[in-house]
Parts: sequence; C-alpha cells; structure tokens
Amino acid sequence: MNNPVPTLRSFDRRNFLRGGLAAAALAATGGLAGCATSGTGSTTPSNTATGAASADNPFGLAANSSTEAVIFKGGYGIEYAEFAGKAMQTKNAGSTVKVSPATNIAQTLQPRFVAGNPPDVIDNSGAGLIGINTIRDQLADLTDVINANNYEGTKIADTLYPGVTAPGTFDGKFVQLNYVLTVYALWYSASLFEQNGWTVPKTYDEMYELGGQAKAKGKYLLGWGKEAATYYQTMAIASAIKQGGNDVRLALENLKPDCWSMPAVQSVFTGLKKIIDAGYVKPGGAGTVFTAAQAQWSNDEDFLLYPSGGWIENEMKDQTKDGFKMTGAPEPTVDSSSAMPWEALHSTAGEGYIVPAQGKNVAGGKEFLRAMLSKDAATNFAKTTFSSSIVKGLIPEDGFGSTALQSQVKMLDAAGTNVFTWNFVDLYGTNTDQLVLWNTFLQGGSDVATLTKGLQSITDKIAADDSVKKVPVS
Amino acid sequence: MTAVGPVAPVEGAAAGVGLRHGLRQLGSPRWRKRNLTFDRISFFAVFLVVPLAAYIAFVVSPFVQAAYFSLTSWTGFSADIPFVGLSNYTKLLDDDIFLKAVGNSVVLALVLPTVTLVLAMFFATLVTVGGSSRGNVRGLAGSSFYRIVSFFPYVVPAIVIGLIWSQIYDPNSGLLNGILTKVGLDQFQSFAWLGEVGTAKLAVMFVIVWGLVGFYLVLFIAAIKGIPAEVFEAARVDGAGRFRSTISITIPLVRDNIQTAYIYMGILALDAFVYMAALEPGGGPENSTLVISQRLFTTAFTQGQFGYACAMGVVLAVITLAYAGLVFLVIRLTGGRDEVAE
Repeated sequence: MNNPVPTLRSFDRRNFLRGGLAAAALAATGGLAGCATSGTGSTTPSNTATGAASADNPFGLAANSSTEAVIFKGGYGIEYAEFAGKAMQTKNAGSTVKVSPATNIAQTLQPRFVAGNPPDVIDNSGAGLIGINTIRDQLADLTDVINANNYEGTKIADTLYPGVTAPGTFDGKFVQLNYVLTVYALWYSASLFEQNGWTVPKTYDEMYELGGQAKAKGKYLLGWGKEAATYYQTMAIASAIKQGGNDVRLALENLKPDCWSMPAVQSVFTGLKKIIDAGYVKPGGAGTVFTAAQAQWSNDEDFLLYPSGGWIENEMKDQTKDGFKMTGAPEPTVDSSSAMPWEALHSTAGEGYIVPAQGKNVAGGKEFLRAMLSKDAATNFAKTTFSSSIVKGLIPEDGFGSTALQSQVKMLDAAGTNVFTWNFVDLYGTNTDQLVLWNTFLQGGSDVATLTKGLQSITDKIAADDSVKKVPVS
Repeated sequence: MTAVGPVAPVEGAAAGVGLRHGLRQLGSPRWRKRNLTFDRISFFAVFLVVPLAAYIAFVVSPFVQAAYFSLTSWTGFSADIPFVGLSNYTKLLDDDIFLKAVGNSVVLALVLPTVTLVLAMFFATLVTVGGSSRGNVRGLAGSSFYRIVSFFPYVVPAIVIGLIWSQIYDPNSGLLNGILTKVGLDQFQSFAWLGEVGTAKLAVMFVIVWGLVGFYLVLFIAAIKGIPAEVFEAARVDGAGRFRSTISITIPLVRDNIQTAYIYMGILALDAFVYMAALEPGGGPENSTLVISQRLFTTAFTQGQFGYACAMGVVLAVITLAYAGLVFLVIRLTGGRDEVAE
C-alpha cells in the first residue's frame, strides 16, 4: 500500500518538468516548420511603388518614394555615397534617400535577404562581403542603368572606362555595378628610386638584380603581411597572364585541371622563388599585421616594392613618409618575349553595387546608381578619395596633387586595350585557403612544387563540388 | 501505517500519527484549492513558463534549426532551402581543412584546461596555504597583491588581449623579439612567432592561458578558503609537507570546483574564436591554428554555404558534449565525491 499510492498520485516537480520538456520539444519542432517556411511566402517582389517611366525618370521612380542604401564603410568612407544621395533628392524633389553604413555586409544583411526585405541598393564590399555567387540569382539586371542618360543628359555607357561592366556580369547578366576603378600595380617610391639611380624592373630577372642592389643599401626588395600574402598571388597571376596570354587566364578562371602547372605560371613562381631564396624578402611577414608591413614599406622604407591595388595610397595616407612620391608600375613579365607587352595592366572595377530584385524600391536603387554615375558625384568621389570611379575623364593632370593617382591614369593610357582581370578567387571565395599557402611560400617554407600542388588542390576541390555554381568564362 | 506515505490519501493523513503539519497539508483539499490561486499561477508564470519559453525560443529552437539546416544546402541568403540529407556530413569527412581544424580544436581542448588549471591550482595553493610553515596556515607574503595582479588579464576583454599580444609577437617591432635580441639571442631577429608552424600553436595557447589563469586562480582560492584551516594544521602536525597537503587535502576537497572549471575551460578551448580572430585570422601557418569555429564562420559568411557550416556546428556541439561527458567520467572514475566525507 505504501508504494502504489504515491506512484499513482505523484505528479511531482520532476515529472512536471519532464512533461514540460516534451512539450518544449514538440513546440520546437512546430516552430521549426514555421521558420523554415516563413521566408518563402515573401519571395514575390513587393516593389509596387513604381511611377511612369520617362526620359527624365528612366526607371519609373515613384513620386515621394524613399530609397534605402547600405554602404560598406571602409577605406572610402560613406560621404561620397551621401553626396550622391543628396544629388538624387535634389533631382527628384520629394523623394528621400537613407544612406547607412555597414562594415560587415554579409553578417548585417543576411537575415534581411532571407526575410525577403533587403535594402534597395547595397555597396557589397570589404572583407565581409556577400559572395556574389551566393546571391546573384536575387539581383536586378542593371543594364538599363548604363543605358540611361546621366543627370547631364549623356548616355552613361558612353562615359565609362572600357570593360568595367565585365567583372559584374555573370552568365551574361549584368547584376553588379563596380564603381571604383582599381589599377593593380607594383608600387614604389619615385624619390627613393631617383636618389639611388634605380630603375623599375620589367622582368623577374631585373627584379632579382634590383634585390641585390637593395641589399647593398641594407634594404629588402619585397615584404608582406600575413593577411595580404595573396597580393603576391595577384601579382603572379597577372604576370603569368601577360607572359602566356589569354589562355592562361581562361584556364585559371574555368578551374581547369593542372592550370597552375602551365609553363607561364610556373616560370613566374620560379622567378619569385629565386628572389625569396636569395633573402631579398623581408622576413617575418607571416607574423606581421599587413598594415604594419605596409608601413615598413611606405614609412620606414625597409623594402622597395609592394604589389597592391590603387587603394594603397589612401590606406597608408597617415603612414607614408614625406616626399615618398608613391608611384605605380605594371607587374613584371617573365621575359621580353611575353604574349602581352609589359604595359598591359591588371585593372578592374571594384566596390560592387547591387540592387536586390526583392527590394521595396528597385527603381530607387537604380536611380541612386544613376546619381552616382553622374558628373558631380563621380568628380566628388575622385577628389575626396584620390581614386578614380569608372566614369572616365574626370581626373585632372595633377591628379588632385596625388602622384599615385597621376600614375594610375598614365598606366591606363599606356595599356590601351591591354587591360585584363579575373574573378575566380573572389567568386569562389578561395582567398582564405590560398593565403595559408602564400604565407608559407613567401617565408621560404615551401618550394614551387608544394605551392603548385596546394593551389591546384583548392581549385580541384571547387571544380568537383557540385553544390558550388560555376560561372564559365570565355 | 497508511500515513507513512508522504502524499497519502486525505483520510489516512488525517488519521496519521506523528506526521509533520506541512506534509499533511500536501494531501489536503486546501492544498488543491491553493493550487489555483492567483499567487500560484502568477508564480508559475513568472518563474517557470517565462524562463522555459525563453529557453525554448533562444536555446532549444536554434539548436534544432541548426540541426535541420545541416541537412540542407542552404546558401544563407535566400528563402530557398533545398534538403540534401546527410551529404554535408559525408563531405565533412573528406574535407581535409575541416579535419585539420577538428584536430587543432581537440588539441586545444586537451592541453589548455590541463595547463591552465594546474597553474591556477599551483598559484592558488601558494597564496592561500603555501606560506611559512610556522604559526597560522597562510599564504606567501604579499599574497593579496599577487591575487589582484593575476586577475588583471581577465578584466581585459579577450579581443583586446588578442590584439595586444599580436603586437607583442610582431616579428620586427614586437616587444618579445625586442627583448630576445637585446639579450643577445640574434636568431629571433624578425622571427615570426605567429607565422612559423613550429611556434604558432604554442604562441596562441600561451596567450589563452595567460588571459584565463587569473580567473581560475580566484575560483580556486575561494574554494580553498572554504576548507577549515584546522584540516591543514592537523596535516602539518602529522608531518605533511606543502606538496603532500595539496595532493591529499586540497585537491580532493575542491574536486567539484576542478570539475566545473575543467568543463568551462574545455568549452572555451573548443571555441577559442575570439582569440584566434585577433591572433590568427587566417588560420595560421599551414592552418596549424585553425579552429572549428573559425572554419564554420568562413564557410557560412564568405563562402555562402550555411547548410554545410551548420553541419560543422553540429559536429562541434557533439564534440563539446563528448568532452563534458569524458570529464564527468574521469572525475567519477578517479574517486568522485564519495572520497570526501561530507
């Protein structure tokens, strides 16, 4: 009698909690079902706010509509975008533009993409950008933006540098407008070179010789920082493309088997390896923060040459020695019999602006880009950031007083149509894995064969992964 | 006889002899009535329903969702979530970089708690009972000063600790190489502590230990202070030295604290994201310091493979649970609580 009675009646705390947990598990399962499907209801675009399209209002921006822009806040700041927003408000009286900054685009906007209410226009840039391959199906085609007239009445397409829409075009659809023209080069101090009677090396052999001359002065030839070791990969790929021609680029872009073993790529790696083995690279880069390494170049003049994009001047503005005269030169070729001339240039448009097709005000997003591509905003951008936008002819002779900007314009003029770029590193997000290999290679910890094998296995892994959408390049 | 059961029927309880008042009330109709009072309902609502709801919403449901997403190839940026079964998990088994990260995390989980807690226990003993062997049981001279100083690193946020140490380790302008070369060790000129495979892992582990040893020191001091001084005095009279007292008295008496500390520290070591993000954002030389949480982050946000990243998260959760289970088991097998008379 002792036992059965309590058992029958004991709805005690412990059992109550057990029941609670079971209920919780059930509730969670139900909640999950709700969650997984909650997004699908809102996939239909809700951009009902369109007005009548006209020559002056090419995208049919509704009267008094509001536009939301999220701008990556990095080296360029967001003031230039706010300037464009004001220009758009002036042009379309009554409309409002809200420009807000973000530093981690992917983390900040991921929930909004899932929920189906992304901002109307996004500057998808920086280390935390959304991989374009992940979202390109959800973006509006921007062809009508460059076919429209700018605020001065000229067709926008006619005002742009050639080829700037290529890096934003995937499978024939132009979905990303890269606003900033980036020239990749080998940067040096014109004044330091002049003092020592050095000339800019045009091949890897000349670079090796310059390394010897630098050593005699107690300086190194090259240097790197741990987060930016792949700047040397960028230089190596550019050199290999110049040496071996377009086929090299296409093989790399299309993730071909053994693409890193092509003779042009291998001869560049060998040339670099010779420089590394000779001790012409400042040691310790694999443990140095990249901005500190860059300051060793621009402020301490510990080493002579640094491969980077045109943003380097702005990035190091506060840490550049007075009278440094930062100047760019095209990446070296392997020898003088290269397929492209030495003047050929790796240049592309960066700072990708996208307009999500699901945004509330797609027309507003496009109108914002139109404002940015008009003369006032584009000139303002060049003047305040010492960088060129993709709108040509806005930079005066003196480059607003910047030697780096002057040299960029000069290099672009000299290159003419020999301008090329590639996308596969950013497109498939392989930079993180490649960094590891390049840090080891630059500090002398691996040979050319090991580097090649490592890079090839990264390429092969992407090529074999069915869950990654490929973008064929031709 | 019927009255012996704690929740015996009302009649029995009423007739019972020697039952305490409170127990009898449990089975009485008055208790059932009070069950429905506003007080009780509001009590349940505030202390049970609300926390439980919050727990379900913010703990259980994300877990379940992550487990579900690990079975999909969700990119993370669309409402389209294709179900792919277990293929993410089979992919993990072939992912050499992920497996390397698992290996690194496991090494951290094995080494960090042991080193940190042994050090913390050593110092805690010194500042509480390790002092002069004459007079009262006390710590070393100036022990309160050491106690405060050793807690300093814990006050600094982990990310700041990481940034400070990445400067100290800087090959060319860092404090460490500056000191080493100054005392004549020229081989450390431009030596990249965080960039060499041989030293990177040790260097980051040192930073984590440095940052946390003070916290566990304080935890252990509090535990040791709870042991009556007479126990140590008696041991001393019996001829036990400091080492013997630590092994035979201190450690058995603070066993529960050690177990808790071991699990906390192990979970932190398996995560280690903040320290790694500051010291080795790229995973270190040849990925020798890459940890699961870092790989998960890259996979989700830069490669846009949330489904795959969720599978990594599930693996990390399983490893963490296995780790906690292992610690419980080891503590149980090595004697557990029954050794201590309570």
